[in-house]
Order: sequence, then structure tokens, then C-alpha cells
Amino acid sequence: MVTKAARPRKRKIVVRGPGKTSVTLIVNGETHEVLVEPRRTLLDALRKDLGLTGAKKACDEGTCGACTVLLEGKPIYACMALALECDGRTIETIEGLARDAKLHPIQEAFIEEDALQCGFCTPGQIMSVKALLDENPHPTLEDVKRAVSGNLCRCGAYPKIFKAALRAAELLRSRS
Amino acid sequence: MPKVIKTKTEFEGRVLEEYVVVEGEGLSAWDAHVPLQFVGKKTTRVDGPERVTGKALYTFDVQLPGMLYGKILRSPHPHARIKSINTQRAEQLPGVRAVLSHQNTPKISFRRQTFLFDEVVRYVGDEVACVIADDEEIAQDALELIEVEYEILPFVLDPEEALQPWAPRLYPDGNLLGGQPELYQRGDIERGFAQADVIVERTFRTQCALHNCMEPHGSVALWEGDSLTVWDSTQHIFGVREGLARLLGLPLHRVRVIKKYMGGGFGSKNNLGKYTVIAALGAKMTGRPVKIVLDRHEENLATGNRPASVQHVKIGARRDGTLTALELKAIVTAGAYCLWPPSLGGPARELYACSNVKTEQYTVFTNTGPLSAFRAPGYVEGTFAVESLMDELAQELQMDPIELRLKNYTEIDQTTGRPYSTKGLREAYERGAKLFGWHEARTPPAALLSRRHAPKLRGVGMASQIWSGNGMPPAYALVKLNPDGTATVITGTQDIGTGTKTVLAQIAAEELGFPIEKIAIEIGDTQLGLYAPLSAGSMTVASVGPAVRVAAHEARQQLLDVAAQVLEVPRDSLTIADGLFRSPALQKPVAVHEVLKNLENFMIIGRGAREPNPEDVAVNTFGAQFAEVTVDVETGEVKVERIVAVHDSGRVINPLTLSSQIEGGIIQGLGYALYEQRVVDRNTGIVLNDNLENYKLPTALDIPEIVFEMIDRPDFRANNLGAKGVGEPPIIPTAAAIANAVANALGVRIYELPITREKILKALGKV
Amino acid sequence: MRSFEHVNAPDIKTAIALLREPATEAIAGGTDLLGELKARLRSPRRLVNLKTLSNLREIRYSPKAGLRLGALVTLAEIERHPIIRERFSILAQAAASAATPQLRNMGTLGGNLCQKPRCWYYRHRLFHCWLKGGDRCFAEDGENKYHAILGADRCHAVHPSDLAPALIALEATVRVVGPDLDGEISLAELYTKPTESHRRMTMLGPGELIIEVRVPPPKKNARGVYLKAMERGSWSFALVSVAVQMSLEGKRIADARIVLGGVSTIPWRAKGSESILIGQEFSMELAERAAEAAIAGAQPLRDNAYKVSLAKSLVKEAVGSLAS
Repeated sequence: MVTKAARPRKRKIVVRGPGKTSVTLIVNGETHEVLVEPRRTLLDALRKDLGLTGAKKACDEGTCGACTVLLEGKPIYACMALALECDGRTIETIEGLARDAKLHPIQEAFIEEDALQCGFCTPGQIMSVKALLDENPHPTLEDVKRAVSGNLCRCGAYPKIFKAALRAAELLRSRS
Repeated sequence: MPKVIKTKTEFEGRVLEEYVVVEGEGLSAWDAHVPLQFVGKKTTRVDGPERVTGKALYTFDVQLPGMLYGKILRSPHPHARIKSINTQRAEQLPGVRAVLSHQNTPKISFRRQTFLFDEVVRYVGDEVACVIADDEEIAQDALELIEVEYEILPFVLDPEEALQPWAPRLYPDGNLLGGQPELYQRGDIERGFAQADVIVERTFRTQCALHNCMEPHGSVALWEGDSLTVWDSTQHIFGVREGLARLLGLPLHRVRVIKKYMGGGFGSKNNLGKYTVIAALGAKMTGRPVKIVLDRHEENLATGNRPASVQHVKIGARRDGTLTALELKAIVTAGAYCLWPPSLGGPARELYACSNVKTEQYTVFTNTGPLSAFRAPGYVEGTFAVESLMDELAQELQMDPIELRLKNYTEIDQTTGRPYSTKGLREAYERGAKLFGWHEARTPPAALLSRRHAPKLRGVGMASQIWSGNGMPPAYALVKLNPDGTATVITGTQDIGTGTKTVLAQIAAEELGFPIEKIAIEIGDTQLGLYAPLSAGSMTVASVGPAVRVAAHEARQQLLDVAAQVLEVPRDSLTIADGLFRSPALQKPVAVHEVLKNLENFMIIGRGAREPNPEDVAVNTFGAQFAEVTVDVETGEVKVERIVAVHDSGRVINPLTLSSQIEGGIIQGLGYALYEQRVVDRNTGIVLNDNLENYKLPTALDIPEIVFEMIDRPDFRANNLGAKGVGEPPIIPTAAAIANAVANALGVRIYELPITREKILKALGKV
Repeated sequence: MRSFEHVNAPDIKTAIALLREPATEAIAGGTDLLGELKARLRSPRRLVNLKTLSNLREIRYSPKAGLRLGALVTLAEIERHPIIRERFSILAQAAASAATPQLRNMGTLGGNLCQKPRCWYYRHRLFHCWLKGGDRCFAEDGENKYHAILGADRCHAVHPSDLAPALIALEATVRVVGPDLDGEISLAELYTKPTESHRRMTMLGPGELIIEVRVPPPKKNARGVYLKAMERGSWSFALVSVAVQMSLEGKRIADARIVLGGVSTIPWRAKGSESILIGQEFSMELAERAAEAAIAGAQPLRDNAYKVSLAKSLVKEAVGSLAS
């Protein structure tokens, strides 16, 4: 960890980098410590340093949504966040959805409705739907469309993603 | 014993003659009335759980111990000669393991027109060098340290300009691929026009469209001794294996290509990419596995595109609508390199009965990114032009567009004179029109003018689709029966997201009489699988599916042989269903594994091959789509309200995954019609929207209501499934139907895609 | 991204001091900056993270003082805030029309107001354009369908913010702090046409930050609308956008503020249109005249003349929708 005090000031500041520095990420409830440069994105930290390759890198510049994860419960693009700035924060990825080898109702609904083709955007789509349903258990079709409007699907699975999200909402309601 | 057969096959509008080897029993397709347990039933993806949990391992996700990363330096100039490359500073950067360029790699011929690292670069994005480093960011840092001195050469971006004698040349023998246009003629085109009462003639332009598969192109290369293993995001593992072996001078058994999951291809991953060869060379040089995955920008520069076209189309007809002549001249932008030009004249040659047809295609090299196949290459573009002009003709003749199309309906393939094995297009028109409410929704052109003051105009349009989708040999499969009553299907195809695995499992389960859960599908590995063709041309189901069925059938025969002996019942009395043997001679059903467990791990293996296509009929797919749009006359905004589609691709194997293909094709077609367009800076040849910000794909908020039906009738002549391809058909007529609907709304036609606000406002005289 | 150091700002004062140093950039939401860093357009030696300044995250409202928004308030928070939706609806509409849910969760108000242009020449590494210190604007004779039609000079990029036109229409002010500065200016004043010596789209210099946006209480009978023409249904910067805030007394237009986005290097206040409307009885003919005035002096380039027509239509539609 490269830490040095900058020129004397009233408040002590901590300069990290440009070399590797230690960052704590709380991913799917587990605490991980990774050693990364400040320029490491959250996405690369998840994929390369933690081996969590569920979040996909399709554009790496905030224009596709394949890397959507939840940061403190809110969907963000992991490619546009610095890992360092997520220090100590909670992150939820697609890998955290299925529990005890049982699929999450959103995942079930995606399979049942065939809400995917190549599947590369799917983890991101599911995380966006998750964020929606966590907040709004009774979404309308319009709510669903807006919730996934930041997730591109080149295969054009959209109509089925809409259906799957609505079906998942129903499943979740019926099970709670 | 294998039988060798000489046969003609058609691929994306072109006919090839080849030998095929056939083994296994010739089967005929299940009769339409035979009840089937799996085929034709909605079946969720057998690999669904992997895909929704993030566990599916895509090439991009492969991480090997000690793996290095490669980043490619690309030309900033549209045309230049590399005078020198100095990689010294890059090599000295900590973490850099190798720098590859033409200076330290063998001169490997690539795509016929260039080399792996060519000393001449012909478009902005052409490969110049590659850094192999510990991490991508380091490799990227190193790219900035490579010093390249270029001799700038004159360049040409526009294909029409490139055909001029004074234009800068990409190759010594000129910019026209093959040195002359591709010409097709039947009848006498001049006489045809002379016989016409009405002639319509227009120039149509289509844009360059980019695939933007969500998973970028990429490979991971690993050497173990003299053996090379490559994970590649490809639509053709065997093609990549053959290419790698040839270019690197390796025997086939030392090259293994693996593709498990893939994030889209759409034709752009049909062929071996330079990055794959570079990864292999880099891995050799460094002695460590190397991963090269392109970034979104490279993806949009260097991995192909649906080329821009200019199409001059002329149609002659009699007063009653009978076509007398159809002529199409297309200029297609090849870009810098071209392996397989699309055939834009296909729809003009095939869609309608017409004895006098001429198509002429100029495929032209320019200093822009190279073209590649893109979902129904040529036919999407050609259909836009022909079906738009057919609507103009209908208007001219004051006929309903469907009536005009039916007037020129043909049951015979116009290019070969062979009858179609089946053709459900007439029914597609009829059912589509009914589903859509065509006759009620359509405002006749005469009534259009009166609506010009409405703030929003509504219009409807339709268009037709023809495509091959027949599948072809060679394709081979094995079905292995395990002692516990499960089966493993092994073939060398790939599931590019279409649902291949699921469909093959349905076919095997049906034929074997096993529950579908007892079937495992092993594909995407050249070392294990038997040859299967590239996943393109809508041919996977119709090529690989029949081979799987034969292999399953062979396995079943053997299973019955052994079961009859073990159970001591007459073989003919035995049936298999739900994984159980039944026979009047048995007191109760006996599970398959109960029989096999007596055989000491004997493993039944069935082999199957795809039979040749029939030569006396033409096997094609057909369809019709209907679009309803609204156009805001103030802001030029076009909204597609709904699309109705009816397609005929023979028997439907899996209505669920098929519906995904149909909807997906339509949505891609919608993007092509309204939003998508590569923009190249005219002054520098640099692509300005090589990203997903300004290359506009449809979003969730652009999706119309989509309603579709399939004709779903087995084509008994096509193959032993009666099924044909469906990957490409749905994208073919969408743009044409939307363009026709916009023309119907505005009363003015837009001859150029995409139909943007700017073009609408211009057409309305507001710019 | 090239490598950099990273510092969490402990307080505003320290942040300003840190940002004065050469090759130092502020990062908040990061959605704009990281784009530039990934394209390697710039290579700061150090990033100063402002997200640690938690006192800049607040949204406060009182009927008397109006709305106060800390610079770190996210677009999503603006979009969803009940009072903003009710009383400053054009701001909520503008926020909701921007980018995507994910980007709105990340992007901050301050960052949105200070974002760099989306011009594809500016954003491309291979073009050293005038705004980046080069000697020419490549859009002028290049591909310019997205570019400015009004008031452009050396640079033809458009200001991409959705929030800025809305906030200017709401007469917002901003508190700007810097090494030698702590004051409040109108948001409109923040935006300056880039000049030879100041090639930026805001007047902010090194170490100067927006820390708060203040919106006065809405006027009596005020109504507003934000319209945005995009190339597709969502996730697009505006081809043209318009924010209109109007106060009506019966049919009489007591007050009007009209600001266009996507048409100039700065958010474009259509004062000519406003003066046509103010004091007049509404009619569609009046709206038409106001719309015409909005584009007075437009100088379209080869590919963007459609924006003139689009701007006119949007102004007409917006005014019409508020009056009827």
C-alpha cells in the first residue's frame, strides 16, 4: 500500500496510489480485501481480483448496462465506478442472487419466459429488475421498461424481459 | 459404411458443389399427425440456470493461471505504409512481456488481401502491433509508447468515388472486387421493360450497420507443449481450428478450439480473427496463456459490418400488375478487405415470378472497416429496396400492396426452375393481414393528403421475406448412452445464443424416448465434437438437428437390440418412452438403466450424419411482416407501434426459443430501419461513433408490440425433421415494412435508411 | 485509464487547495470524468474525490427560501424527490430524461452541470480539436448532425446537460467556491462560450467548484415543461431540448422563461421568445411567433439544419402545452 502524507496541511489527507492499495469490498455479504491501483474499476476488481465474472464487460464506458451491480442497493454501472471509491461499501452481484443452490424468482422467471438469448446482458438485466422489485413490488409494464432502459440487449429479448420482470414480481408477491 | 455423395448446397444466396459423406439410416420427418413428446413443445433452455446465475463461462470470462493480456495498436490513418516501428520504449515498461509486429512475427497471409501484420494499413483500425502485458491497463500504457512512422497514402471512403478511374487504389488491380461486377441475368431485360405499361425506378441507399454483439470478439490462447488450445468467441470452432492450423503450420490434432458460451455473433464471428492468431503467437512467445478481447471501439472498427449500399432498382409491370422486368444494380462497400460479399440481388431474383431479371453487384474496396456477414447479409438491404419499390408500383397501379405481390406469386424458384418444397408465403400474407387488420388499417394513398394537418400521422406497411435456411451437410453427431440411462449428445456445433443446445436435446429426447433431463449436450469443442458447420445462414437446426436425430436413432436401435436380448422379449415388441421399455411381453415397464446395468459399462454409441439436400426442389423459408407507425410531423419522430409477423420455416421444434429469435430479429430490423448507422468522418476516415453512445441500438423504450405466428408445417423434403432455419428470416422484411408504413403515413417516401427525424423533416419540407 | 493518485477530500477547503495543484481533477459521480480518462483524453496525476463531502448531499426546501440542492445530490434523487416533482417539475422531468437509471444513481448535480461536451471529435483521442487546445473545430466541415446551430464560434459542440436548461428556466443560482472565490451567481452566468484563452464551457477555473444550487420558490401560477427530442426512446443526449417555465394569469402570460439545450455551446436562453410572450394573451399564433424567435439568428451547419425546425417545434409545443 502506497500511502504518504502530502504537504503539511490543516487536515491530514491520505493519498493512495498510483500503485496498488488495499480496498475492502463487501460483495454478496462477504468481505473481501483486494489490492488494486486507484485506476481499477469496480468491474475489473470484481472480475479479475475476485473472479466474479457474472457482471459482464461489454463496453467498459457506461453505455450498455452489462456490468450492472447494486451498490448499497442501487443499480450502477460497475465499469464507471472506481473500486477504491467502493471501499467498505456493500455490493450485490448476480452471483449473490441464488441462495442454497436455489434460483431467485427473477432468475426462474427469466428462464420460464426465455428472457435471454446469448445471455451476456442477462446478469445486468436481472440486477436492474432486482433493484426495481426490491423497491416496488407492484411494478407496471412502464415501470419495468424504465427500470431496464439502461440495459441494452442486442439479441432483442426485451419483450420477454418485460414479461419475466412482471412474472417475477408476481412470484415474489405470492411467496412473501 | 459411409456413403460419399456429390451434392449442390446453397449458402446465403450462393451455390456450392461439394462431396458429403453420409452415414446412418435415412429417416423421414415425423408425420404432422404423429404425437410428439418434445419436438414442437415449448421448452425452456437446458442451460438457462447457468445463463441467469452468471455461471456461464464466456470466452471473456476465461481466466487462466499466469494469464497475460494483449492489446492491439491500430492504425490512426485510413491508408498508409508503415515505414518503421520502434517498440523499445514499450518493451521496457514494467509488466510488458512482448510486443508483436511485422518485425518479429512470420508474414502470415490473411483474408487473401492482407497479412497478419501488414506493412500497409488500409483503414483506421487496421492492426499494426500488439502488446502482451500483465494487465490490460499496462498493455494500454505500452501502446502509447510504440512509435510508428507512417508514409501517408491517399485514401477513398465512398464506394462510388472508389470506382472512378482517378480514385486512390487499395490494391494494384483496382478497387472493384473480382475486377468486374457480379452479373445475373435471366430472360431479356430490355424486352421486359419494353413490354411494361408502367415502369418505376428509384435509387435506394442503406447505411453501414455494426453488429455490436454484447460480448466482444476475443480469444484466450494456451500452449501445452506443441498443442494449442484456444477459447474463442466464434460461430465456427472448426473453421477457427482449420485456420489456426493452416496459418501456424500445425497439424489439426494439435489445435483445440473451445467455445462454450457466446455473447452474440450475428455473422461477425463466422471467421478466424487476427486477434486469435496474435493471441496464439503471443502465448508462444511469452510461454504463458494470453487473452485478447477487443474493446467496444475495436469491436466497431475491425470486426465487420453490414456494408452500406446504393441500389438502383427498376421494375416494369403490365397494368394488371404482372411484372415484366426487374433490374437491380447494387454498389456495396466492401471496406478494406472482403472474404464473402453479401448478395444484395437475392430478393430481386427470387421473390417474384418474373422472366426478365438482371442483377448486377459492384463490391468495392474503400479505406473503411471491412464488411462481414450480418444476419441475412444482402437480403435485408435488397429487400428494403425491392419491397419499397413494389409498394411504389402498387401505388402507381392503384393496387393493394398484397394484391400486387400475390399477382406475381411463384411456386417455382425463379433462379433454378425447381418447385419449392413448401412455400407458406401466401398463407403468411393472408394470416398476417388478418392478424394485423390490414384492410381496415390501411389508408389508401388518395386519402393521405387530407391528413396533412394532423399532428401525428399513422401509416401501415408490409413486406415479404425469402431466405434459404435449408441447412446442409456436412454435419455429424454422436449419441452416447450411459449405463445409468442418460445420454450425451456430442457434436461440434455451437450455441451462439439461439438455443441450439435445447433444440438438440429435444430432438435426441424425442428419438430416444428419454426424458429431456436425461440428455446432456456437449458442443463447442473441436477435440471432442464431430464436425458441424458454422452457426450462420440459419442452418444450425436444419443441419445439425438431422444428424443428431440419426445418431439418436442409431443408438436407439442398438439399445433395442441389447434390451431384447437382456429382457428376452421379441425386439419388435419393444418400445421406449419416458426412459422405460414397454412390451406386451413384459409384465411392467423396465427402466433403460435396468437393462444397461447388466452390461458392465457397455456404452452404446450412435452415429449420425446430415443427409444431402434434395436436388429436385428448392428449400426456402418465407414470411411477411406488417408494421404500423406514427410520425410526429412537428418533430419528425417515428414510433413503431406494432409489428405483425407470420413466417414459414417448416416445423417448429421449440416455440419458446423460436419466439425469441423472431422478436429479436424484428427488433434488430427496427434498429436498422430507424436508428443505427456508422458515421465516418469524411475528412479523416475515422469512425466517430464506434461506441454504444452514438451508435444507437434500440432500448427497452423503443420496443413495439410484436405479434407473430408461424405457419408451422413440416417440410418433408427439407430434412428428417421437416424444420428449417429461423435465425435470419425475421430481420429481413422489418426495415422494408417500416419504410413502407412511413411512406404510407407521410404520403412521401424516404429512400434511405435509417429513417431519422432529419429525413422525415426534410421529406415534409421542414428543413 | 492512465494511472493516478487518489485522495478523498476531507472538507471543501482542503478540496479546493488540492484542486489548485497542477494535473489534479475532481471526481464526484465519475460518469463523465471516467469516460474521458478511459479514452485517455486527459491524464491527471491525481483525482480528488468529492463524494466524501457528505454535507453536499442534502436537498432542502422551504416555501420562503425555495430549493437548495447540494452539488452531490444525484440525478436519481432529484428525479424522485416529491417536492421537486410537485413544485419544480421541469427539473424532475429533465433529470428523468437524462441517461439511464444506473447513471442517474451515480451522476451528481454538480457533475451534470459541469460536464464536458459529447462532441464526437472532442471525445475522440485522434482529434486534437480546438476545445482541447488544438487549432480547429473538426465539426465545422466534418460530421455535424449533433452540433450547434446558435451562437457557436470556434467550437461547435453543444452543451449536453439536461438539468441546466431546466434550472436556468427556474432562475437557479449556484454557489461557487474557489481559492479566491465564494459567491453566488446565476446558473446562466456559469456558462460561457469558450474563448481563445478560456477553452471551457463554464467560467470555472482550477480549484473552483459548484457546491450548491439554489432555486427560488416558484412564482404564482407557474407551470413548466421540459421537452427533449432524442434519436431513440431513451438513453440519448438531446438533439434539442427545451425547458419552459411560465406563469399565467388567466390567458395572459405573466412571465416566461425559455431555455434550449442541444443547440449551442451553452444552454441557450431564448429571450426573444420570452419577450414576445410576456404580457400577451396566449394564442397558438403567439406560440408560433415565440418559436420563430427562438431560432432567430440560427446558423446551421451542413447536417444539422433539422435542429432549427426541431427547436421551433419543441418551443411551440411546450408553450402550447402550458397555456392550454
